[in-house]
Parts: sequence; C-alpha cells; structure tokens
Amino acid sequence: MKSKKVINNIVLACLLLLAAVTYAQSDFEKTQNFKTRYKQLEDGIKDAITLEECNTIGESIAKLKKEFINDKALLDKTLYPETFESSFTKIEKALEVRKGDFTQIVELTTEVGTLKTQITEISEKNKSLIAEIRQLNLKGEKDAATIASLQKLVAQLRSNIQQRDMLVRDIVDSLLTQFVKVPSTLNDAEKQNIYSKVEAGNLFYNIERTISDNIQFMRVTELTPEDLSEMKKQHKDFNKVWRQIGPRLADVYLGKQDKTTEIASIDNMFSLWNQRINEEIWNQINKLFREKQISLLQFNNGDQFTTSVVSFIDDEIKNIGVKRPEESENTYYAFTDSVWFQTVQPNWVPILIENKMMTEANKDTIETRIGKWKEYIAPASAFNWYYIILIAVIIVLIIAYLLKGKKKTNVDIPSADSNQ
Amino acid sequence: MRIVKHVLLVFLVFISASCSKLILQPADFAWPVENVIKIDDKGFIEEPRYSFTINVKPLFQEEFADSNLAIGKEIRIIRDNLGYYYLTGINFKNVYLFLPDEGGMQLEETYLISETGLLSPVMNQKSPNIELIDGDKIYILNNNGIVR
Repeated sequence: MKSKKVINNIVLACLLLLAAVTYAQSDFEKTQNFKTRYKQLEDGIKDAITLEECNTIGESIAKLKKEFINDKALLDKTLYPETFESSFTKIEKALEVRKGDFTQIVELTTEVGTLKTQITEISEKNKSLIAEIRQLNLKGEKDAATIASLQKLVAQLRSNIQQRDMLVRDIVDSLLTQFVKVPSTLNDAEKQNIYSKVEAGNLFYNIERTISDNIQFMRVTELTPEDLSEMKKQHKDFNKVWRQIGPRLADVYLGKQDKTTEIASIDNMFSLWNQRINEEIWNQINKLFREKQISLLQFNNGDQFTTSVVSFIDDEIKNIGVKRPEESENTYYAFTDSVWFQTVQPNWVPILIENKMMTEANKDTIETRIGKWKEYIAPASAFNWYYIILIAVIIVLIIAYLLKGKKKTNVDIPSADSNQ
Repeated sequence: MRIVKHVLLVFLVFISASCSKLILQPADFAWPVENVIKIDDKGFIEEPRYSFTINVKPLFQEEFADSNLAIGKEIRIIRDNLGYYYLTGINFKNVYLFLPDEGGMQLEETYLISETGLLSPVMNQKSPNIELIDGDKIYILNNNGIVR
C-alpha cells in the first residue's frame, strides 16, 4: 500500500516535471504566437461577410484574451507601443465597427427591398395608365369628359413616374455610400455586398425601366415647356448620379460580361433619353411655327434652328415685291407677334439656353435678322418721314390759320380809325 | 608630518572625486523578450525596436572559425538589466556576453553551454538573470557566469 503511494508520487512528480519542461518556451515565440493570432483575427474582421462571422470572431477574441492573460506583463512590454489591454480595446472596437457595417447593410437591404416592391407597383400602374392614355388619344373626337379624364390620367402618370424616379434614385444613392472606397480597393466581402444590393434592388432593370417609361410618357402625352424643362432636369440629375456610380459598378463587375453589357446599355439609354427630350423640345417649337403656316427647314439643335430661321427670314426678304405686300406682312406678323415674341422667345428660349441647346449668340443672330426683316416690312425711315410730313403739314396749316386771323385783325383797325 | 599626511590624503580624495566620470545609476536595460534576427548578405543584423545595426561576422569567426557561415543564419539576442547583450544561435556551443563600446560591442564573457552545440536555443528575460532553454535543458545565466 505504501509502495503504491510512493509510485503514485513518483509518477506525479514525473508528470509535473514533464509539464514544466513542455511549458518552458521562448517568450519571443509566445509573443510571436500572440501577434500571429491577433493578426489573423484582424484579417478575419476585414474579410467577414456576415454578422454571424463577426460574432464568431468576437468569441475568438475573448478566447485569445483568456489564453494570454497570464502573459499580460510580458505582452505589455513586447507589444510596444500597444499594451495587452490596448490591443484588445483596438480589435474589439474594430469588430464593433464592422458589426455596425453589417447592421447598416441589413437595414439598407430591407430598405432596398421595400423600394423594389413600391417600384414594381408603380411600374405596373404606369403600364396601365399609358395604355389608357393611348386609348383615349385614339378617340377621334374628344368630348370635355374625355379631355378631363385624359388630363387626370396624364397628371397621375407624371406623378407616378416622378415618384418612381425618386425611388430608383434612392437605391442608387444608397449604393453610392458603398463606394466611399475606390472599387479596386474593395475586398471580396465588400464587393459581394454591392452585388447583393444591386440584385436586391433589381437596379439595372429598374433604371432601364425608369428611362423607358420617361420616353414612353413623352410619346403618349403633350408636354408643356415646363414639363420638358422638369424632365430635362430629372435627366441631368439622374445622369449625374449614374455617371458617378456607373464606372464604379463597371469596375466591380469587371469580368462579369453580362453585367458589363448591361451597364454599357444603361449608358446608351441615358443618351437616348436625353436625345428624345431634345427631339421633343425641337418638335414642339417646330409645331408652333407650322401651326402658323411657317415652314422651317428641319432642325435638331440650336445651330440648325438658327440657320433654319435665318434662312426662312432671308427667303421672305427676297420675296418682298414678288409676293403680295399683305402676304409678306402677314407672314412677318405671324412669325414675330404670334410665334417668336409670344411663345418661343419667352417660353422656350430660356429652357434652350439653360440646357445648352442654344446659345445667346444664336438668339442674337435670330433677333438681329428679325430686326432686318422688320425694316423691309415696316421700315422705320419711311414711317418717320410719313409722320414728319404729316406734322409739317399740320404745323403749316396752324401757321396759315394764325396768319389769316392776324391779317383779319390788321384790316379791322384802319376801318375804325376812318370812322373817327 | 602626520598632519601633512592627513592633509595630503584629504587633498587626494578631492582630486580623485573631481576626476571621476559622471555615472547615471541605477539603470535597467533589460529587454522584455529576446529577438531573433536574420543575418543579411553582408553579415549584419538590424534590430528594429531598439534600432541598431551590427556586423556579427566576427562572432561566427570566433564560434565556427568561418565568418562566411553567418550569411542567412539567425542570431538570438537579448539584453539583461545591467546592459549586457547575450548572443547565441543554433549549433553554437557558447553564449557570448557583450557590452557596448565605441562604435561596436566588446566581448566580456563566453559561456560554454554544450560541447555538441545548441539544438534549439531560446533566451528569456528572468531579470536579473537570463534564462537559456535548449530542448529540455534550462540554464540560468548572468554576467558573473552560469548560475545553474
């Protein structure tokens, strides 16, 4: 019994010795081991793609801290300029920030999901509204009720399209916040997050849909200068945001051919949208002239418009004397009073200039030419002579009248003297 | 005569006191942990934290009688509280103690540890001593010698 106890003690002593030997290790290696594992956790935080991963890393941090707590004094010195505690404070803070990113991402993804639903609903409504407007437009004669109904539908469609534009813009804006970093510096997790957001918001499809609905809207409705000006502004703003995000998305999707093609296609659609608004604006202006039987050469930009107007005026000036004077005058007054000065100049020219579709120089050229035309139709010089002669005649008549009165008085005075 | 002797003694004490160099004491130079540094192609090691560079080729000449063996090898270095540098490495039989000297380090002591050479030496700070572990063997060293 006693010998058994001695044996046990010997075994225990051996085990303790073995443990002491095994435990003996380099402080340098302990430090290196700590640093390596700490670095792995830091990298893990950067590469984490889900909140769950962050939580697992949190547990590993706690484990590391517990494991090395006995070497705190050594690590306080060897981790210079950090200390044991400050290293953990730093990594725990980094983990919290990363967790915060995921919380924000979850919120944004939910938001994008809600936006997507709203967009789908509005898109469906728009589709039926466009169909209804088409139907009403096809009606040969429109009574007051039809016109009122048409106006109501157009207003509703306009509001829907604007609302949908805003929703799509919100998705794009929320994506922009992801691009604080240059795309080439985004890690796989961040890229993955952008992919899922683009997919969740069905971004590419919705942008394409927004543009095509805007184009459709122009086709089915008659737009005022204000409508087109507003639409031009919308295009400008949206295009600006897209130009910020498009190339970055192209970088993120580098190597994904279908997405790259889609991005390029959206670029083209933005150009097409702008082109269609411009065409609509020029068509509306052309229509104003045509309604007054003024046929201008086809124009699609400010220079062409100026050339066309100048050419028309030059032809009219050439035809003075060939055409009947009343006809020339009618054309002149229709052009200037009914179209140019009444509608085009006050309503359209400011929009054209603001959107760089026409220059001040173009406007001056047209107005100078109108001035020249006016000189032929209602020459200022002839007009002045007419009045000057008229005034001269009146003055002569007044003088003659006065002289006549004076003469009469002079004749009366001697007769009075003779009576005396 | 006796008085003259005493005066001269006091005078001598004053002179020797005024000639001694200023020493800042006490000091603790101990590194918390050894450093393991790879020797570059020119035989230099560069200590990043305490920022010094030194040529260790003469150490290999001393240990292996071949300074060219230094290239690409690793040196383990640690400093004790008194300021002695302890240098050793794999296959070294000795641990070398150095003190800083003008423009270099001067060898102060050489401790023979293993006739067959150290297999995997590591050094830890156990102030005021340095602990040397090689496999299952543990040695305690200081500037006065191998303590155990």
